[in-house]
Order: sequence, then C-alpha cells, then structure tokens
Amino acid sequence: MHSFLYSPIGLLATLVGEAASSFSPVLLMFGFAVVATGPALILSRMIAPRKTPSPVKFLPMESGQVPKEEGRTHFMMQYYSYVLMFVVFDVMSIFLYAWGSSIIGLPKTATLPIIAFLGIMFAAFGYALNQAGRKNIW
Amino acid sequence: MSTIAPQFRLSRFIGSLFDIIFWVLLLFSLIGLPVVFIILFYIKMPIINHQLLTPYLALTWMADPSRTLPIIKTLLHTTFFHVIAFPGFGFAALLAAATIFVERKFLAKIQLRVGPLYCGKIEGILQLMGDGLKLISKEIIIPAKADKPIFWVGPLLFLGTAAALVSLIPVAPGGWVVANPNVGLLAVFATIGFFPIITVLTAWAANNKWTFIGGLRALHQMIAFEIPLILSLLSIVILTGTLNLTQIVESQQHFWWIIFAPISAIVFFICIIAELERVPFDLPEAESEIVAGWLTEFSGMMYGLIQLGTYLKLYAFAGLFTVLFLGGWNGPSVWPQFPADIVTQGITIGPITAKIAGLPLFDQEMLNGTLWFVIKTVGVILMILLPRGVFPRIRIDMLLHTGWYKLIGLAFINIFIALGLLYAGVLGPGGLIQ
Repeated sequence: MHSFLYSPIGLLATLVGEAASSFSPVLLMFGFAVVATGPALILSRMIAPRKTPSPVKFLPMESGQVPKEEGRTHFMMQYYSYVLMFVVFDVMSIFLYAWGSSIIGLPKTATLPIIAFLGIMFAAFGYALNQAGRKNIW
Repeated sequence: MSTIAPQFRLSRFIGSLFDIIFWVLLLFSLIGLPVVFIILFYIKMPIINHQLLTPYLALTWMADPSRTLPIIKTLLHTTFFHVIAFPGFGFAALLAAATIFVERKFLAKIQLRVGPLYCGKIEGILQLMGDGLKLISKEIIIPAKADKPIFWVGPLLFLGTAAALVSLIPVAPGGWVVANPNVGLLAVFATIGFFPIITVLTAWAANNKWTFIGGLRALHQMIAFEIPLILSLLSIVILTGTLNLTQIVESQQHFWWIIFAPISAIVFFICIIAELERVPFDLPEAESEIVAGWLTEFSGMMYGLIQLGTYLKLYAFAGLFTVLFLGGWNGPSVWPQFPADIVTQGITIGPITAKIAGLPLFDQEMLNGTLWFVIKTVGVILMILLPRGVFPRIRIDMLLHTGWYKLIGLAFINIFIALGLLYAGVLGPGGLIQ
C-alpha cells in the first residue's frame, strides 16, 4: 500500500482524492463569490443608460488625447535580471518549506545540508545581485 | 403637471394583485419547493429524538419548535453556511464594506479633512450605499479594441480569487473555517500567486497604454515582494512544525509568535502592503502618474467589483497576519457566561417567550474567539490603512531594491533566530517554553 496514492497514517489509508477534497471549499468559495456578484454586472447592464455610441467614446483612455498606436505594444522590459532571479529563488523558498515543516521530526544533523544549500544559493544570489546592480547590463 | 397613473382603476389594481399572488404560488410550487427538497437532500441531516431527520420531517420545524434549534445548529455547521455567511463571504464582505467607509473617514481625520459628510445625515454613514447605487447605475464602457471575454471575466476572477483567499482564514475555535487543508499556508501562497496573473491579463485585454504599464508594474511588484513574503513565514513554520493555519493558531495559546519572530512580522507586514498595492507601494494604480494604472478602463460596476475584491483581499491579509503573528482567536475570556436557565429552559424577553432548550446558537468560546479575532484584525487593517495618509509613493527601482536587498536578508535573519531557539531547547517539543 505504499504507492503515492496512499499515505500510511496509522491504519487509515487516505486517498489522494480525500486529501484534495479538503481544498474543495476553496473552489466553492470562489464559485460562490462569482455567482453572487456576477448578477450585479447583469443588473448594471440592464438599468444603466446606454447612449447612442459615438466611436470616440470607445477609444482607449489617454487623458483626452487622440490615441496614436495600439495599447499592446512592445515594451522595454526593464529590471530583467530580477525577473530571472525570481524564477530561481521563488522555487527555492518553497523548497525550504518542505524542510521547515518537518524539522521537528528530523535529526539535528539534517540541518547541515540545508545550511550548505543556503550557502550555495546565497553565493549565487550575491553574484546575481551584483550583476543586477551594474548599469547598462541588460 | 403630470400624474403618475391617469387611468387608475381600483378593480384592475386588485385584479393585478391576484395575478401576482397566483404567479408567485405557481412558481413556488413548481420551482421553489423542488429546489428546497433538492437542497435538503444534499445536506447531512442530524438525528433528533433517535430519529434521522428526513427532508419531510425537516419541514415540520414550523409546527414543532423543539426540532427547530437542532436543525438550525446543523445548518450552521454545513459548508454552505460557512461559505455563504459566517467565516466566509458574508462576514468578509461586511468587514470589507465597513473598511471602505472607515478608511475614508480615517484618512480624512489624519489629513484634517472631514471625509464623507452629507449622505445619511450622521457623518455620511450612508455614503457607501450611495456609491454602490451610483456604480450599479453607471454605464459600463468597454474599449472597442479590448479583448472582450477576458475583460468581462477579469473583475469576477479577481473577486473570486480574493474570496478563495478569505476561505483559508480560521476565525474562531471549533472548526469555524471554510477550508482547512493540511497545507493551508501553501494554499495561501498558491492563491496569492493568481493576483498578478489576473492583473496582467486584464491590463493586456484592455488594450490601453496606462493599463499595460500598470500591469507590468504589478508584475514587478510581485517579483520584488513574493519571495520575502514566503520566506518571512518560514520561521513560524519552523517553530510550529505545521503548515495548517488552525494548528498555528492553537500553538499560540500562551504567547504570540510576534514575540519570537518580530523581524518576520515586520517583513510580512511590508510585503502584505505591497501585495495589496497600497501606499507606499501603490505603483500599479498610481493615480497621479498613470491615470489609474491597470484599473483605467474599468467603469461602473466592473470597477465596483474590483474594489470589493481589493477590500476582501485586505481583510484576508489582515486576518492572515492576525492568525500567524497575533494569536488568532486566542485571548482572555471576556464574553459573559450564558445564564444556565437560558440553556436549559429558554428565554423570556417581555411578552416574547421561547421555551426551547439549548437556545444560544453559538457557544461562549466561539463568540469570545470571534470577538478577539475581529478586534485584532481591525487593528491590523487600521495599521495597513495608516500609511496611505502619511507616506509618499516610492520609485520602482527603490521597490525592487527594498525587496531584494533588504527584506530577503531580514527574513533570513529571523529564520536563523528561529533555528537557534529550536536547537537551543527554548521552543519546540520538550523546550523550556511550552
């Protein structure tokens, strides 16, 4: 019974589906919020005035000026180095939770590899921040 | 001068009344009653007087008052009630709506203004209802080149995700939480991660330069503050050894975690202000720079829904801070004990007598817990509102610098403090402080 579908907690074998069912109220709440407030949009559409449209009314808002180009343009992505760092370190921070939540049951020596891991990550982190601090690199 | 109904006939009026009654009865018996029975079929029924309550017996509560209370108590503990009313949407929306009004008055008092004053005679107390009516009766304008389906769905997604975040917050002892998964904290992080995606989606769909810049700024803000937010809570997880939010609250019966993790608390507080896009981190909707940021093209009720979602999110984050650092529902017992004769015999107020045993629907512990939770959460909400009246907006490179250079380091400091406390035998199982 040691497949990934069963977690051996005592004699009770918990199905993955049962564990997932503890998340179902989250989805219910999401659905209820949408169902309860969606009619407000429909009601608003019903009672609000809809005047004779002029094409100017449906132009994008640009503070009174006539819009020149598309809104969806190519945009210079500044601070790109932070974006790259985020991809790495966001995953790292979640990995640390797997260690942090089970630390009470682990022997104390098990912390050493994590400290080493953090050391490696910090070195990389410092180097990346150093590179990010340099101007004109990206 | 015009009259309202020049061709008024009493007979026609009475006839129309009968028509309405007929249709109401017809629709109720054809649609209402089946719906009631279908709902009753899916709700788990209690056992009363050694007899399982069937949907048929459930409708006898009107004739038999002794059945009423057990049925109501059972309904209070169903997921439906949790989602719709108490720890869920109704409760959170009420607090969120109150926050909108309190924020306006509070900021006005800070800046020596008066705030809303006229609507509702007493200090503008009906301003919120007036605003709601205004928003619902305004035209929804959608730009011609917008991506219409995504643009329509965006506010609903935002509101729904905020409500999903609310569902993970435990409010009172005894299972008063909508969703209680074992990895509640990870579920919180997963839910938070949806907000920037929705922001960028709607910003892209609106086909406007201001919204686009606002969406990109929201993305950068997430990049700067997501990692400190996640890391700042790791010290709590190390000290409690659990990811379940209810268990984290129960571990704070004697002391709050803000005592042992003050740096984490500060980092987390700064990060939630940034996640909520409030001053001084309100770059995505900086109204003095980029019109309204990613909200520029939203009009009427779509804007209203986003506003409601924002304040639901505010409540959820303040509740999360309370749960993680301020002890959640724990606090001295201040709720008065119910008199014994109410529990055993019933209640008598003037002419009204209800001789039903077990009358208080909620026990004293739950009411006390809710009271403390609400007090602490409102305190945190006021602390979150306060910077808006005080601070200017910070620049985007300063934002990234704060997040990456300072907050991550500070979060790690508290992780090592927590490790030290655990390994020095101060906290944790078998520690000096239990």
